[in-house]
Amino acid sequence: MTSFYLILKEMLQRKLNFLLSLLAIVTATALFVSFFTAGEASKNETIRLMRDIGFNLRIISKKTDMEKFWETGFSDETMPESHVYDLASHGSLSYAHLTAILQKKVIWRGREVILTGIAPEISPQVKQKSPMIFSIEQGYVYIGFEIARNLGLKNSEVIDIFGKPFTIAHALLESGSEDDIRIYAHLHDVQGLLNMEYKVNEIKALQCLCIVNNKNTNSLTLLREQLARVLPDAKVIMIQSIASAREKQRLMAEKYFGFIIPFVVAVCMAWIGILALMNVRERRQEIGIMRALGYGSVKIASLFLGKAVAVGLIGAALGFSIGTGLALKFGPDIFKVTANMITPKIELFYWALVASPAICALSVFIPAMIAATQDPALTLREE
Amino acid sequence: MVRLERVSKIYPTKYGDVKALDKVSLHIKERELVVIRGPSGSGKTTLLFSIGGMLRPTEGQVIANNSNIYAISKRERAMFRAKNIGFVFQLFHLVPYLNIIENVLLSAGVGKDKYRRQAAKELLKRLNLEDRIYHKPSELSAGEKQRTAIARAMLKHPSIILADEPTGNLDPENSEEIIRHLVECHSSGGTVIIVTHGKAVDSYADRIIHLEKGRIEN
Repeated sequence: MTSFYLILKEMLQRKLNFLLSLLAIVTATALFVSFFTAGEASKNETIRLMRDIGFNLRIISKKTDMEKFWETGFSDETMPESHVYDLASHGSLSYAHLTAILQKKVIWRGREVILTGIAPEISPQVKQKSPMIFSIEQGYVYIGFEIARNLGLKNSEVIDIFGKPFTIAHALLESGSEDDIRIYAHLHDVQGLLNMEYKVNEIKALQCLCIVNNKNTNSLTLLREQLARVLPDAKVIMIQSIASAREKQRLMAEKYFGFIIPFVVAVCMAWIGILALMNVRERRQEIGIMRALGYGSVKIASLFLGKAVAVGLIGAALGFSIGTGLALKFGPDIFKVTANMITPKIELFYWALVASPAICALSVFIPAMIAATQDPALTLREE
Repeated sequence: MVRLERVSKIYPTKYGDVKALDKVSLHIKERELVVIRGPSGSGKTTLLFSIGGMLRPTEGQVIANNSNIYAISKRERAMFRAKNIGFVFQLFHLVPYLNIIENVLLSAGVGKDKYRRQAAKELLKRLNLEDRIYHKPSELSAGEKQRTAIARAMLKHPSIILADEPTGNLDPENSEEIIRHLVECHSSGGTVIIVTHGKAVDSYADRIIHLEKGRIEN
């Protein structure tokens, strides 16, 4: 008679104990599998949502008069356009989605507009990211809502700006900000129109949280230190509301998972441990007779630990199936933007096959030791 | 052969120590059938479990088959028990989820048992249990359960059989049958030590030992 056979027969005899233990590990495994299956979608959805809020870093010339900057909304001081490439060439910085901008208030067709040149967005070499901002081909413009409405401008219409023809690629929707009086064009077109070749007055960026992981480090201090090393003549301003919202959301998600994972493991372990303890009590005389028949402590303990491993393996298979099923069923409703990222992850099955039996065996360790050290002379005399 | 040398067993309790065995010395020869009798609490079961290597005496030595069984490790003692001792209990102590032949085979240990299976079947046939082989203990009468327990004790042909009130839960007819089987074990060469209140076995016993307050009376 093998140990496996004894374990199997015992599980079939005491079905309730077996099923309740199984329920615990299936619940825990399913929870983890569903979390991690939908986790990537959740992470990417957060990134997408945060990205949609917009850039949170503005890099401007160190010489900028900040009072004037806040009054006008941009810097009068310029920097070489090459700064953006210098910054992008450093892969280990906390700056992503770099966009060089040159903007200036000008009078066009008798009204004040903000002429804004945007370079195609670039990202540091190690971070391949999809762009956050539209890019404009040379010879084309995007017209702000107020300008288009007041002047009756339409898409595809050719307009003249300071003697140079441009085609309207888009007449923009109302934004409720100064963007409604902007004319967006390619950076090089605007540099040409303003006679400011190779100059920019701002680099917009998004703080990359993938590099800053130390919560004790002030992120703005770190950003400034990094910038000083690469662009000593520039300074960085962080738009705190956006940045802090982004940081808070990330920390909240980390805290939540940091709490829920140990909590679920602890509850699951306690549950299985209590059931195992009840099982040991119920089997006192059976253990006693086995000891009387010459079974050693190791064999007695192995019957309980073996059962735990068997429950863990079955739990891993069921938990993975249920967890994946739940993630596939409900995940797309929760993470609408990144729903297509929710797919079965076979690596989670391999993890479950290792972790679930290990958790079960660990939970049952103390009851198994109690069983192994039980005094048969006492239990065999009980009526 | 079993030899006890000034064996004492004291159970500490919150009301004070209880002396279950008091310097008991005893020599049981090979192939002897010994009955141990005495009132409740006289130390009969304690004596039996001490001989079986399941209850370490507070003092004294227990030598069985030339082995000082409490001077060896727990693991060695478990192996000694598996090889040399067969237990029969008043409450049968059959494993509820195993059928009868599996309960008998349990004494063969965990592992391959294809050779012992045939021996177990033959043993069960000898004990008139051949039509109960695949039954669960809950489907058997008390007499059948005790016969199963005897088969389990006998499977490995232990040199010593220890029976603790084996007829305590049986009617006279079944008691007689169980005694007959234990006597058969003795006849086939085993040392049999029976703790019992009944007198049915007296006529087969080589010796009857009386225990009183943890001491041998005669």
